[in-house]
Amino acid sequence: MKVRDVIIRDISAVFEDETVENFVIMCAKQLRSGLPVVDEDMVVIGFISESDIINATVPSYFSLLQSTSFLPDTHQLVSRFARIKDRKVSEFMSTPPITVREDDSLMHAADLLIRRRMKSIPVVDSYGRLVGFVTRMQILRGAMEKRWEV
Amino acid sequence: MKLVKGVKTFMRVLTVTLNPALDRELILPNFTINSLHRLRNPSDSVMTPGGKGINVSMILDSMGISNVAMGILAGYVGRIVEEELRRLHPDITLNFVYTDGETRENITVIDPMNDTITEINSPGPLVSERELEIFYRRYLMTLPRVEMVVISGSAPPGVDEGYCLKLVGAAKSKGKVVFMESIGPFFDRVLQEDCPQVVRADLRREKRVLGHELKELQDYVELAKEIRRLGAKAVVLSYKIVSDVVATEEGVWKFTIKDHVEVSHLLGTGDAFVAGMVYAVLKGLSYYEVLKYGMAAAIAEIRHLRKSELSIEDMERELQSFDIERIE
Repeated sequence: MKVRDVIIRDISAVFEDETVENFVIMCAKQLRSGLPVVDEDMVVIGFISESDIINATVPSYFSLLQSTSFLPDTHQLVSRFARIKDRKVSEFMSTPPITVREDDSLMHAADLLIRRRMKSIPVVDSYGRLVGFVTRMQILRGAMEKRWEV
Repeated sequence: MKLVKGVKTFMRVLTVTLNPALDRELILPNFTINSLHRLRNPSDSVMTPGGKGINVSMILDSMGISNVAMGILAGYVGRIVEEELRRLHPDITLNFVYTDGETRENITVIDPMNDTITEINSPGPLVSERELEIFYRRYLMTLPRVEMVVISGSAPPGVDEGYCLKLVGAAKSKGKVVFMESIGPFFDRVLQEDCPQVVRADLRREKRVLGHELKELQDYVELAKEIRRLGAKAVVLSYKIVSDVVATEEGVWKFTIKDHVEVSHLLGTGDAFVAGMVYAVLKGLSYYEVLKYGMAAAIAEIRHLRKSELSIEDMERELQSFDIERIE
């Protein structure tokens, strides 16, 4: 099976100069966990996910602690988000972007999703322009439907 | 431009639906107001993505023409529209911007016994300035990748007259063929200030365009000529259900379907007309032939009770199904 067998042809994306707040609003309304970041030619230049923003809102020393459950809630998450909400997506996006092509194997896409801990991967054409995305669930559905065919 | 059947290149056409809808069609024989009706079969109640541009997208996709659908959705109903569109037509590329509120629902009651259609359409969500800017930037990004643009349907609250003008202007400045089907003040303004190449007035509810009150055949002819003078290469005005007054630079004609037309089968015929014209322009035909393909697609659509998918063969089969009368 190929990526084209399960691709979702949706080119929703954010521009690198758009704000974090705009990205969060888009994801919340479209029930997406992340979006490709594109330039004005629709070329994918990065990827931004909810994890990138959560990482930026959690204090860096948290990663040194085994558990944070004992810490009192001092609204740091809220205040830290308020500090970054007007900053540009480009400051938080992952680069270079992890992408696949339509003629890549589904196995390759599945491997990338797990290895890179992503929930979706942008699909691009030979010019690197966005044509859609694949998700973990699309891959599973594709595999399941193919099984019935077999 | 060469159109190869069955071969889909990436996005040849961009359709814009500023005010999409969830279309709910109910088939109720002997429908009357003020009484209880029960649906006999689940198939008598159908829920489909709607809005004129989205309808055009679905028909183009069924003809094998790759396209991208853009528009402004909202809320739970908006997500149903998007999911259903994706389920029914996975090859259509989607690029929607979301706003607050809820996408509208259009309810249509079809009564095949009394040959009537009753429609209830809601206005749609309020779109903010910020969302319109987000949409416009994505529209500009998508334009270079398509050959033509279809802007169809009503505008939701918050979209001013100048916005559609901006969309048309951007597409024309990039050398795209622009099709527009609509009605109302913003439609009039676009026609007057930057007329698209292909124009179809949506005359279902209102019969007034550019100050012309449309009553007699001659009123339609004069309006078609005026839109042509404003720069349109092809003009379509539906006339008394069974006919269309059409115009190109070469003349004005009246196309009239030869068969009896069931009013209850008219749903989606305007969108099929536009899709047929898009197909013919992509094929490189003259604007007169473009209009004939539009009429043929509309007749093919009339053969179905519901708005439906059309094949190129369905459309081409109807090219002889209407009389052509030259008016000027």
